[in-house]
Amino acid sequence: MESQYFNFQELCTITALPSQTIIEIVDHGIIEPEGSDPESWLFNTRMVSVTRKAIRLHNDLEIEWSGIALAISLLEELEEVRHENQQLKAQLNRFIVG
Amino acid sequence: MEFKDYYKILSVAEDADSKAIKTAYRKLARKYHPDVSGHQEAEDKFKEVTEAYEVLKDPEKRAQYDEFRKYGQPSSGREDGRYRSRQFEGDSSGFSGFSDFFSSIFGGAGPSGRPQGQSYGFTSQQAFDQRGQDIETDMPIFLEDTLTDTTKTLSYQLPHREADGHTREINRTLNVKIPAGVANGERIRLKGQGGQGIGSAPNGDLYLRIRLVPHPLFDVEAHNLIITVPLAPWEAALGASIEVPTLTGKIKLTIPANSQTGQRLRIKGKGLVRKQGHGDLYAVLKVVMPDTADDQIKTQWQQLADSAAFDPRKEWRK
Repeated sequence: MESQYFNFQELCTITALPSQTIIEIVDHGIIEPEGSDPESWLFNTRMVSVTRKAIRLHNDLEIEWSGIALAISLLEELEEVRHENQQLKAQLNRFIVG
Repeated sequence: MEFKDYYKILSVAEDADSKAIKTAYRKLARKYHPDVSGHQEAEDKFKEVTEAYEVLKDPEKRAQYDEFRKYGQPSSGREDGRYRSRQFEGDSSGFSGFSDFFSSIFGGAGPSGRPQGQSYGFTSQQAFDQRGQDIETDMPIFLEDTLTDTTKTLSYQLPHREADGHTREINRTLNVKIPAGVANGERIRLKGQGGQGIGSAPNGDLYLRIRLVPHPLFDVEAHNLIITVPLAPWEAALGASIEVPTLTGKIKLTIPANSQTGQRLRIKGKGLVRKQGHGDLYAVLKVVMPDTADDQIKTQWQQLADSAAFDPRKEWRK
């Protein structure tokens, strides 16, 4: 299987974003790479998809980065809650049906 | 080709000013943005709303559209190539994220500032030496298949640039190795299996989004599995030794005497595979009643009721 991690330069390439934009996204805590400085940063595949989401929200809805940080953390929370809700409903169904 | 009423799509009046149009667009864009909305049709809705705004925000485009809307066609005398795309209608539609209707009035070019293509939001603008488009696709996996490394056959659609410069969807089939212990929502990257690069640029990547298929017996909580175990009232009362299915077979489980509905029994190591070790299987007990009872059984229940002196609602009487 291919490497599931990217360094800073690779992330810039695959997202076609200038390095300054990635730095901004990291500075806002939207993604939190391993490593303390850009040279040692390591990003996983989930961070790639979060970066893309951040860019879409930034471009499509004209939201500034701090707003995106908030939106993304709320969206993640929403997804978790939805997932949990789905799990609990499935379990409850097994309990009350049949 | 379906006529699109852009005013209706944005829910604005025909004489709405640019500020009202912008506000309406922003509101709907937030509502239907595919990254925000849980709606199934969010992406189509969002595209429709964006297309409507692309036209109505621009006075020139809006005037052209109004004319078309009123008279059924744009004014004649356009020889400057603006409507050129009509001749190439069939070709241009796969290229632009906007509808055929849009292309028929304004040409094949998509909106500015928004990447186009089948895979929403990924780059595909035309330029020399451009890296291929990344593709993200769902990969449904059965729980049983997460226990060991497994190979899956995946079919997906890929934009392919033909020699004539047009992009068409092609089907591709690939054998993919899925490592043991993958979790729901995890993404696996397959380098170079995405869209074709342009010029000397590399191909894009393929991202598989793992989706665990719901199991008829087991629910998933992180790396643990949960199974609901129906028990007869006497099994719960007296205890029992029963057989419980696991993902790979069966296991003996001892039910202690005086068990309750909802009680969880942990079966160590029989959950999903983790990067290190295994999760656990939890048996959740559920006491169920027989469907019918004959006279003899009823007499026995009655005897039990008389001798047990059990008040299940004593909490209510405090």
